[in-house]
Amino acid sequence: MTRPLRIALTKGRLEKDTVGMLEQLGYDCTQVREKGRRLILPIGDGSIECVLAKANDVITYVEHGVCDLGVVGKDTILEMQGKFYELLDLGFGRCKFALAVKKGTDFYSGYGVKTIASKYPNVTRRFFEAKGMDVDIVKIEGSVELAPLLELSDGIVDIVETGTTLKENGLEVYEDVCPISARLIANSVSMKLRQSEIETLVTKIERYFENKEET
Amino acid sequence: MNKYDRITPEGTRDSLFAECTLRRDIESRLHALFSARGYSEIITPTLEFYDVFNRKAQPFPQEQMYKLTDAKGRLLVLRPDNTVPIARVCATRLRESTLPLRLYYNQSIHVISPSLKGRDDEITQAGIELIGSDSRMADLEVIAAAVDALRSFDPNYQLELGNAALFRVLMQQLPASETAKEQLRDCIESKNFPALGDLLDTLPDSPAAKALRILPRLFGGEEVFAKAAKYSTGDAFTAILNDLHALWKSVAEFAGKDRVSVDLSMMHRTDYYTGMILRGYLSGYGEEILSGGRYDNLLAEFGYDVPATGFAVNVDAVTKVLSKRQDAPSGTLPPSNVLIWAAEGCEAAAVEAATNMRAKGLVVEHSLSATLAEARAYAEAHGIDTVLPIEKTTEGA
Repeated sequence: MTRPLRIALTKGRLEKDTVGMLEQLGYDCTQVREKGRRLILPIGDGSIECVLAKANDVITYVEHGVCDLGVVGKDTILEMQGKFYELLDLGFGRCKFALAVKKGTDFYSGYGVKTIASKYPNVTRRFFEAKGMDVDIVKIEGSVELAPLLELSDGIVDIVETGTTLKENGLEVYEDVCPISARLIANSVSMKLRQSEIETLVTKIERYFENKEET
Repeated sequence: MNKYDRITPEGTRDSLFAECTLRRDIESRLHALFSARGYSEIITPTLEFYDVFNRKAQPFPQEQMYKLTDAKGRLLVLRPDNTVPIARVCATRLRESTLPLRLYYNQSIHVISPSLKGRDDEITQAGIELIGSDSRMADLEVIAAAVDALRSFDPNYQLELGNAALFRVLMQQLPASETAKEQLRDCIESKNFPALGDLLDTLPDSPAAKALRILPRLFGGEEVFAKAAKYSTGDAFTAILNDLHALWKSVAEFAGKDRVSVDLSMMHRTDYYTGMILRGYLSGYGEEILSGGRYDNLLAEFGYDVPATGFAVNVDAVTKVLSKRQDAPSGTLPPSNVLIWAAEGCEAAAVEAATNMRAKGLVVEHSLSATLAEARAYAEAHGIDTVLPIEKTTEGA
């Protein structure tokens, strides 16, 4: 009668990492690996199904309770916010938010109000608000590194993994904002109404990480 | 310039036919349920002064309130909550009334929701407030009413109990800065285990820190109480836990063990709760559809220091859930029993005849057609069995 436990995965790398983890846990993910163009796919014996979505949508689906669980990056959580439970740090998809500027610039010098370009205006605003600093924020959709190069902004707040893109464009990390990794989130009502199913899965994942750390 | 004359503002909508029928049905069910318990209805204005909601505990973020000004330039808001205005009424006009007061309301609240999230800005709440008693029976009465309300929506409801004082006690015992405590609250409210762990790691080890670490995991059935007892930080903690356990047992007795659960880290968005708190869930809706609890300090903020407890049902949410059920009412009315057609000059007689038939319980519709033949065609198309022509000849008989 009840539908399978529905888990929304962020398409792309987080999806691959999650599928890898679920397979290690003994769930059959063949259907997800051979998905074609389908977006809702059964996992294992069909007691779980996964939904493939863009990162922001994972949060939306979980918040509304049409998906019970979700795997999404902390970057998206920080930017979108919302009301849901954040159950686990899945450890993969590790990177950080950082403030980057043109190499050799002293960002905090001078009186002028700084302009910051970012794909993550909310993260940026909170970061500078916490410092009690007024900044102009410009939302950029594509390669944010362009903004300081074209002198639209004094710096950028963006996700940094290896820093290679920054380096190749003459930018450098000036200050770390916060670390990022993939998170398992849950709808607050699902957590209560499907407690045992969710806890079973969460415990399996936790144990998987414990074993991984030991080896 | 854009003219917004054909759409409603984001977060609001028109309710038509089936939705209205269902909503009114839910409202009248709740009305019957509350009045059968001796609760009297009160209506407070949609507009209130901003100051009413600008409480010490700051439960209402100003960016979430619809604001406007009155003719004197004073700041007004569209009521974002029903309990606070009722507290205001109790502390003023009802101050001399004998306690306890049993009050019931069915009216809307307005909140500015984040854009494009598919949330309602206008929500109808039906709820009760029991003012003037801090007894366990008062909490139990309120919970029992909540159980009956939930049961009338769906026998597979889930009721969840908590206690707002538990977290407060732990916070008092925890050696940490106010900022850290605020962050802790966020982590526990969102059951954010990774962040909670990181945050507690930075604090000195203490019994309160140990309890806080486990607190968001302490939800489920009766087994939670035994688990929580191991983390007791002292008498205050144990007393709250035992009280809640006793309450849980009473509720389980009349509602059934499967229907009532407990979440020791439960927190409400509004901050005025001081003791027992409750939430109700229905499957098919991603948020609670019922919420409430004990708020013993709120009336004191209006200068009337009496305890109080209550809850509210989100009528819109219940309507949404029930409208997806198979037994939901259909959108169209059944056809009228009689179509009454009047020849020219007989209109008054037709009105009179219709009134007489309605008094007998029939649904009577006036034909607006020019000819009787057209009226008959209309009746056939709309499934009306009887057409009654009122003509000179019949009248003259």
